Amino acid sequence: MLSDGFVHFVEYELQIIALAWLFVLYAIKILQLLRLPMLREKGPGKGSAVSGALRSYANLFLPWSMESSKKHFWRWVEFGAYHVGAGIAILNTFTSPFAPGMMTQPVRWAFAILIAPALLLGLVKLARRIARPEMRLISTPDDYFSLASVEVFFFSAIMALLVNTPLWRTVYFLITAGFLFYVPFSKISHYVYFFFAATITGGRYGWRGVRPQAREVK
Amino acid sequence: MTTELATKELEKKYNKLVGTSASNMCAHCGWCMDSCHVYLANHDPEVTPVAKAERIRHVYKKSHDWMSKIFPFWTGAKKLTDEELQKWVELAYRDCTLCERCVVNCPMGVETPQLIAAARSALNSAGKSPEILTQLADMAISREENAELYKDFFLEQIKEIEKQLQAYMGTPEASIPVNKEGARILYVPLSGAHTILPEAIIFNAAHESWTLSMFEASNYGVFLGDTAKAKRIAERIINEAKRLKVQEVVLTECGHAYTTMRWEAPKWFGGPLPFRVRNIIEVLDEYVCLGRLKFDPTKNSEPVTYHDSCNLGRKGGLLEEPRRVLRAVAQDFREMTPNRLQSLCCGGGSGLVAIAEWSEARIKAGKPKTDQIRQTGAKVVVTSCDNCRHQITELNEHYNLGIKVTSLCELTVQALVLPNRATAPLSSK
Repeated sequence: MLSDGFVHFVEYELQIIALAWLFVLYAIKILQLLRLPMLREKGPGKGSAVSGALRSYANLFLPWSMESSKKHFWRWVEFGAYHVGAGIAILNTFTSPFAPGMMTQPVRWAFAILIAPALLLGLVKLARRIARPEMRLISTPDDYFSLASVEVFFFSAIMALLVNTPLWRTVYFLITAGFLFYVPFSKISHYVYFFFAATITGGRYGWRGVRPQAREVK
Repeated sequence: MTTELATKELEKKYNKLVGTSASNMCAHCGWCMDSCHVYLANHDPEVTPVAKAERIRHVYKKSHDWMSKIFPFWTGAKKLTDEELQKWVELAYRDCTLCERCVVNCPMGVETPQLIAAARSALNSAGKSPEILTQLADMAISREENAELYKDFFLEQIKEIEKQLQAYMGTPEASIPVNKEGARILYVPLSGAHTILPEAIIFNAAHESWTLSMFEASNYGVFLGDTAKAKRIAERIINEAKRLKVQEVVLTECGHAYTTMRWEAPKWFGGPLPFRVRNIIEVLDEYVCLGRLKFDPTKNSEPVTYHDSCNLGRKGGLLEEPRRVLRAVAQDFREMTPNRLQSLCCGGGSGLVAIAEWSEARIKAGKPKTDQIRQTGAKVVVTSCDNCRHQITELNEHYNLGIKVTSLCELTVQALVLPNRATAPLSSK
């Protein structure tokens, strides 16, 4: 049904083209941001900007550091599980074509088991976005489409891992390619900006001795 | 015309921080929602931090986001209109106090207050900012321009306060120096004796070399979002400090005044100021740590709690200093929960306390803070910000909290051991 040449193209050449597209667009976005002016802290510091930035990066892994994750611990678990699943599904787009020897049956099952909760949690997220008036108000077509397309991506990843037929592999890699073409234009690209915010905002909090709190020098 | 001016100003404010927060960085996860005191008080979906930020983000996206330029409906992007700008007035000046609690609770670190501040600047340039804030900023500037006119009246007032100081301390040697060249500290108060007399008692008791500023610390240019006016107001104090050759400027218990002079002014003027900038609570903390003052904490025997001003704490880094002082001067100090970095805004910050027509909304937004105070069982609430003090005093009256609201300096003076101290309590209001 599917020629070997087409399956190979989808798994290799198309992925490389899509990845190149993603990286070029990200590079342009990053350059555009870097060219913007920025008023840096110029008063004598009370703490360390580097510590502040590092603390901001670490925040995601310290649920007790933010009231939003401390009070709603389940939400933090959900956030973690969803992003672990996403990470594994992305990793699989590299390991399957470029390290096939690594993809033994137990590894395939392990990957699928890690992606499955993300697939279910995506549905929870979608339901919450539709049901809660606060979430509905802030949601745009891009939000719904991004969430739905990630769901399709997760599902195809699980099928490609467990069924592992040329058809499912082709579906998975076609969806991945489409995904990579779309991501730079959507909110899925949020993680690129995280590094800017963690550095700038975290740096400011650190410099002012807010987070982490400055050590007292008396 | 007004939208053109506002759009132009928004573009001027588009820096790395605003650009990042106005981008797709916000994943619309909603984690920030219940970090906002306004949303906690109202449960109105329109006032969650993300909903407020989105209105401004949509406008920025229309001109900066690739997808939004071509398919605006897909991301909700839109051009700024007169109608939208009008809606921003309440959003920017009433429904957000720029407290930054949403920032520290956002997993991505989206700077919603930076977007709101950009909206304030846009509104101000379009002539849509609250009139009272403009008047207060202009008054501060005119006070410097007409300093000679004010001088005699000011000095007369200070003489009166000095008499109260001498009576309280029981010594004619206690003084309030003004325009004293070469003093170590230039102390900058607010309008009114309540930020002069307690501090004068403390400085005299510590035998400090100090002089009183002719100007007040507050800077309404910051609240307006008018950087030119804010710089001008800050410059009055900088020039005075340079003229008097002081080593440091000490600001009174006022949150935004401290953050402005300590952290923002060096950015505006291109580098560190030629003197040290501290808040009076840092100086008090130093006196406590060095043992320069003696206290009798039994004079403050009622349970006391501390409200962290957003500007001093979350934005300014003064978190432990007031607590060390409180432990030294009060017998029963109790923390509010949450506190420090996670402290709830009182609801009156960022100029809102000055805008009479929004007092109902302000009192409503203060309900979460009221509940927090009530839970401590404290009879005295100390805060080191005059805006917060005003707001909590009103919350006390409205919600029958049965508390006394005071400043850290006033509470300190209560416990201060002075050899010839008057028996009458301090009255500086």
